[in-house]
Amino acid sequence: MTGTEIALIGAALAVGLAGIGSAIGVGIVGQSAAGLVTEDPDKFGQTLLLQALPGTQGIYGLLAGFIIMQEVGIIGEQMLELTVPQGYAFLMAAIPIAIVGLVSGIYQGRVSASAVGLVAKRPEELGKGIVYAVMVETYAVLALLATIMLLFGIDV
Amino acid sequence: MLVDDTIYAYSVGRIRSLETRLLEQGRYDRMIDTSSGEEALKVLAETDYAAAVAELAGVHDFEQMLGAELKNTFDLVIGISPRPELISILALRYDVHNLKVLFKAKYLGVKSDLLIPVGTVELAGLEYAVNEDDYRDLPEKLRHAAEAIVEDFTVNRDPQVIDLTLDRVLYDQLISSARDKGSAFLEGLFARQIDLINLKSLVRVKRMGLDREFIKKVLLPHGLLATDRLISLIDEQLESMITAFSMSEYAGLVEEGVRDWLEKGTASRLEKLSDDYITNYLGQGKWKAFGPEPLVGFLWAREIEIKNIRLILVGKINKLPAGAIRERIRNAYI
Repeated sequence: MTGTEIALIGAALAVGLAGIGSAIGVGIVGQSAAGLVTEDPDKFGQTLLLQALPGTQGIYGLLAGFIIMQEVGIIGEQMLELTVPQGYAFLMAAIPIAIVGLVSGIYQGRVSASAVGLVAKRPEELGKGIVYAVMVETYAVLALLATIMLLFGIDV
Repeated sequence: MLVDDTIYAYSVGRIRSLETRLLEQGRYDRMIDTSSGEEALKVLAETDYAAAVAELAGVHDFEQMLGAELKNTFDLVIGISPRPELISILALRYDVHNLKVLFKAKYLGVKSDLLIPVGTVELAGLEYAVNEDDYRDLPEKLRHAAEAIVEDFTVNRDPQVIDLTLDRVLYDQLISSARDKGSAFLEGLFARQIDLINLKSLVRVKRMGLDREFIKKVLLPHGLLATDRLISLIDEQLESMITAFSMSEYAGLVEEGVRDWLEKGTASRLEKLSDDYITNYLGQGKWKAFGPEPLVGFLWAREIEIKNIRLILVGKINKLPAGAIRERIRNAYI
């Protein structure tokens, strides 16, 4: 396998795993919200906000994937011929957001779904429910930060 | 499994909204403070019961309304549960209740107006089975129990066999179903309900002055309290029985409920405290975001609500003083 191919595996993992995490997370909240809205359609707006929260991991993964594609030259004029060690460096740089995106997306979904229950009982406390869910977001942001620093640190 | 319990996400979301419509203590108080059954119904009509109350021909028909409400609740919760078989276990209680009512009507001539249309077997099927002495179409366990009752009763003429046999079959079935489905939560619920029944039996048998042999027949197995220990208490004074439970989780309930029973000669306080105890155990469902607990908790909450409405309406129709009704009202789940 060439270095470029290995780097592209990194891009695929970042987009794929973080995207799976978000899909599961958003899916859980969506089910929970649908249950609430069945009984109380007025809560649609508030629950939609909660459902969107676990969606960010997928965006972070895509961002990391884009940076790799750009560095490698898939987007742009000319594709670079990377060495195998360079390729592995890109793959490793993608791991933080890939793994943390997957796991935090699922857990953020669980917290947001719990917040749907909170909104059912106390709609005025939506803000607190959002804060709980955003606490999980912190770690996805940290992972994205690590991934970006690693990516920009690689000499090509 | 990381995501397994999220199959409950939809149903819990829906339950959370339904919980907000449960009756609160204040509503019960207002119903109790009215001057008659009709007035109490008017207060009830301000809630989600409005449609049901509007269809009532008169205050004395409330049993039918409450039965229908309970059935609706069961149908709803079973309908939204991702594992309906787990919830249907809880309907078994009503099969057994209905069988008891039918057998007592047949053998003792007690009027059977308390049949509840909830359960895994259709009421018509149960009625046919008992009236025609033909139990072939009942589920196996119930069939065996029914046949055993008929056999025993025709020989001994002792009506207690009806309750004893059916309770035993019910709780055997509940515990083994909970274990089959791997639900420690439901097993914990049934074990506690068994304990509470056993405690009540123990005091009752003691008060009737019956012996060790009898209590052995009455106590149900599978409770958290060992039956051997309960049997050994039958020879103790009631005071030391109360002390014996002071280290168990039933300490407060035994202390207050049993004392009240001894003073007033009625078990109604103990029964209220027992229901409150179960409400408390099931209260864990209020905080769980995923899992069957909120569904089971909501079902219990509705059962308690219906029990409270019945207590109030019966009390109002019979002109009981407000205080007497109020002290029997179960705590609300919310």
